[in-house]
Amino acid sequence: MLGFFQGMRVTMGNMLKKKVTIQYPTQRRPVSARYRGMFYLKWNEEKQRLNCVGCTLCAQACPTDVFQMRKVGKGTDAGVDIFTMDLGRCLFCDLCVEACPFDAIYMGPEYEFATYDRDGCVLDIHALTKNGGGDSLANEETIYRLAKEAEEKAAAKAKPGEESAKEEESE
Amino acid sequence: MKGWIDSLIGGSPWMLAVVHGVILLLFILNTVLLMVYLERKVAGFIQSRLGPMRTGPYGILQTVADAIKLLIKEDVIPTKSDRFLMVIAPFFVFIPTLVIFSVMPFSEGWIASDFSLALLFIIGASTISIMGILMAGWGTNNKYSLLGGLRSAAQLISYEIPVVLAALCIVFYVGSLSTVDIVHAQSGSWRFLGFLPLPKWHIFSLPLFFAALIYFIGQLAETNRTPFDLPEAESELVSGFNTEYSGMRFAFFFLAEFGNTFFAAALAVVLFFGGWDGLQGIWGALWFLAKAFLLVLVMMWVRWTLPRVRIDQMLNFAWKLLVPAGILAVVWTFAVVVYKSGGQG
Amino acid sequence: MTTAPALETREIITQGMMLNMGPQHPSTHGVLRLILTLDGEEVVDCDPVIGYLHRGIEKFAERRPYRHYIPFTDRLDYLCSLANNHSYCQAVERLAWIEVPERAQYLRVALLELNRIASHLVFLGTFGSDVGATTVFLYAFREREHVLDLLEEITGARLTYNWMRIGGLPADMPENWDKGVLEFCDYMEPRLDENDRLLTNNRIFRVRTEGVGVVSADEAVSYGLSGPTLRGSGIRHDIRKFRPYEAYDHLDFQVCTESGGDVFSRYRVRIQEMRESVKVLRQVFEKLPEGPILTKTGKLLKAPAGEAYSQVESPRGELSFYMRSDGGTDPTRLHIRAPSFCNLTVLRKLAIGTKIADVVVILGSLDIVLGEVDR
Repeated sequence: MLGFFQGMRVTMGNMLKKKVTIQYPTQRRPVSARYRGMFYLKWNEEKQRLNCVGCTLCAQACPTDVFQMRKVGKGTDAGVDIFTMDLGRCLFCDLCVEACPFDAIYMGPEYEFATYDRDGCVLDIHALTKNGGGDSLANEETIYRLAKEAEEKAAAKAKPGEESAKEEESE
Repeated sequence: MKGWIDSLIGGSPWMLAVVHGVILLLFILNTVLLMVYLERKVAGFIQSRLGPMRTGPYGILQTVADAIKLLIKEDVIPTKSDRFLMVIAPFFVFIPTLVIFSVMPFSEGWIASDFSLALLFIIGASTISIMGILMAGWGTNNKYSLLGGLRSAAQLISYEIPVVLAALCIVFYVGSLSTVDIVHAQSGSWRFLGFLPLPKWHIFSLPLFFAALIYFIGQLAETNRTPFDLPEAESELVSGFNTEYSGMRFAFFFLAEFGNTFFAAALAVVLFFGGWDGLQGIWGALWFLAKAFLLVLVMMWVRWTLPRVRIDQMLNFAWKLLVPAGILAVVWTFAVVVYKSGGQG
Repeated sequence: MTTAPALETREIITQGMMLNMGPQHPSTHGVLRLILTLDGEEVVDCDPVIGYLHRGIEKFAERRPYRHYIPFTDRLDYLCSLANNHSYCQAVERLAWIEVPERAQYLRVALLELNRIASHLVFLGTFGSDVGATTVFLYAFREREHVLDLLEEITGARLTYNWMRIGGLPADMPENWDKGVLEFCDYMEPRLDENDRLLTNNRIFRVRTEGVGVVSADEAVSYGLSGPTLRGSGIRHDIRKFRPYEAYDHLDFQVCTESGGDVFSRYRVRIQEMRESVKVLRQVFEKLPEGPILTKTGKLLKAPAGEAYSQVESPRGELSFYMRSDGGTDPTRLHIRAPSFCNLTVLRKLAIGTKIADVVVILGSLDIVLGEVDR
């Protein structure tokens, strides 16, 4: 019987206390700095391009084959013009971010990514750069230009200029 | 009130009944809407939530929205169910609730029909709803519903007895079965220990306090509130006897449940807390409703605090503790009444 | 005078009612199906059917490099992902002879204990709602939110943390995280007292749980129970104590046991364990050494041929990973000894002869997670 009244006191006490509800769509609690939310590709303002060089280390670290990418160019000037993530199979495990040596892929604080169909889960490079505040078209422009310059340099070095078409596309 | 209605319809007894019925129905609907909102808010606050907040300011329109939703929802009747039973069961549950309100005195003269066997009528009529619940449990052809219906029958029949015994104490004490007489018997005040002024409510006299306790516990079970909410035990029977119901028919069960809860509280006010307490007209009614809602709040508070008992424990509690206690209360009250009347009664 | 005719005696032949409880039922804690045979309210037979959540997680391991499998272990027992992560990583560390730095060991303990509290709070909440005390559910989840906030701060996720790596942890704790944990410890203890007042001391709760679903010590051992379910039967067995891993042998804590063997004892053990976890957490941050957090392993870890077995005391009991390697980059066989699965075996024995309401409570007290049972 005593326990009964103790319990009533506890519930009454909680009734008068401050409520913990956060009214979600209008109020939000801030997520932590390490929060693993939506992916984005990091934009390098200085070089006007993405940090990604298309090394596929993230794809190798991924347990569920989320990534598809196409590399353009060579060496540190290389970049990606196709970079697709199928978030429908993503585990949000952070392994790709850890694997990246260029700090190119990142997980941001956004967490509402429900879509109406499965195609909506597949994010291409435009969507991924937009999340990071970048511009995929500018990225393409930069990396194509760099690739072209490198190509021209190589062509100038090799003089006869026969192998120019060779290094255009590699995955 | 009565005079006003009479002047409106010209004194035809049939029309009088219809008007009273409509007024009571509207009253129950509004009370239930308010109670559902209260229940949600109380539950929310107790559980450190906010409760409904979106529909209207502070969510006050939430129950209205829900009522509309229930009205326009499809009325699903499973193929293998006993169609007839399933269709009429909600009315068997709801109509007794509506009917017993007709003898509820809200204020001086604010009663649909004041007759001398009111209490007996309440006890008799409210028992009919057990049949409706059984019909719902059997008719929907769902095993959980069946279990819920049977539990409900066992529970309501068992707890009817302590409630009746508690009411019997009042009947002995007052010497009348009329609800109006019972309220009148509680007007005035007395002095506790010679100096503390207290109203002459039945709850403040010792044997009847005991009866009130029995009544309160019994009514918690009668109205399927939490420590005794076995017929619809959410974690065991999912929703018990009303599992298969949807739309309007479900709304009737809901109405009946909350209507019964309010009625139990209101009857407690009549029996133990002095009814309208000598106030006249609208003030009496407001005072009456305030007390009733306070009791409703206590019931909600209990509901959101306590766990649920098991069926055998519940029946044991009723038959081995509450019924003997009720009999004791009756004997005690009887002794007090005989003593007070100096053996003349 | 005629005598009354003798009443015809006839045996009434009754038939049990078969009731499907689950896979969709609020109290089966996931997609467990119980085929109950009922005689009125009484349970005559109880036949658990599992496998609705089978995803072949053990098989996944055989085709993936060691590191890739860690996020999959999150999905086993999703209420204590870190314990799964840890048990798996420990198995690989034992297989490949990898040392874990001391700081990582202590931090792992902190994470595991936080996760234990979170898991036990879910138990408390769901158990409360099983016995009908809905408010306890929301209080428990309110408290759990604080744990999840802390875990989110360090791991970045709220449920599937994936925060153990082979050889340590992927990153050190953020600044002031330890203060947050200690604050939580101070917050948690009064909340547990409050829960005692609200639920544990409640008469109705007591009669619902005491003497229900009794497992004797002998039975508990022979059924292979583990964790709080075993300790509730009075057997002092806790892998943290008797086969210490990580930093547990440097930390002082009690193995909580209760002698009743009933639902209430199992409940009590879990509540006590939360208090002990708080104690452990306080010690961790007193003793936390400086140093590296991760032993570097190669990009593609190759374990030498052999076998490894790692036992861990997860909130539900003894969680073990058995692993065999033939020297490649993935295990040739992985087996998970899931505590929920082993604990579930006792359900049938306990359920028979009780009421439906008791089945719900007994199942709640075994604290199973279907992700782990079905794997």
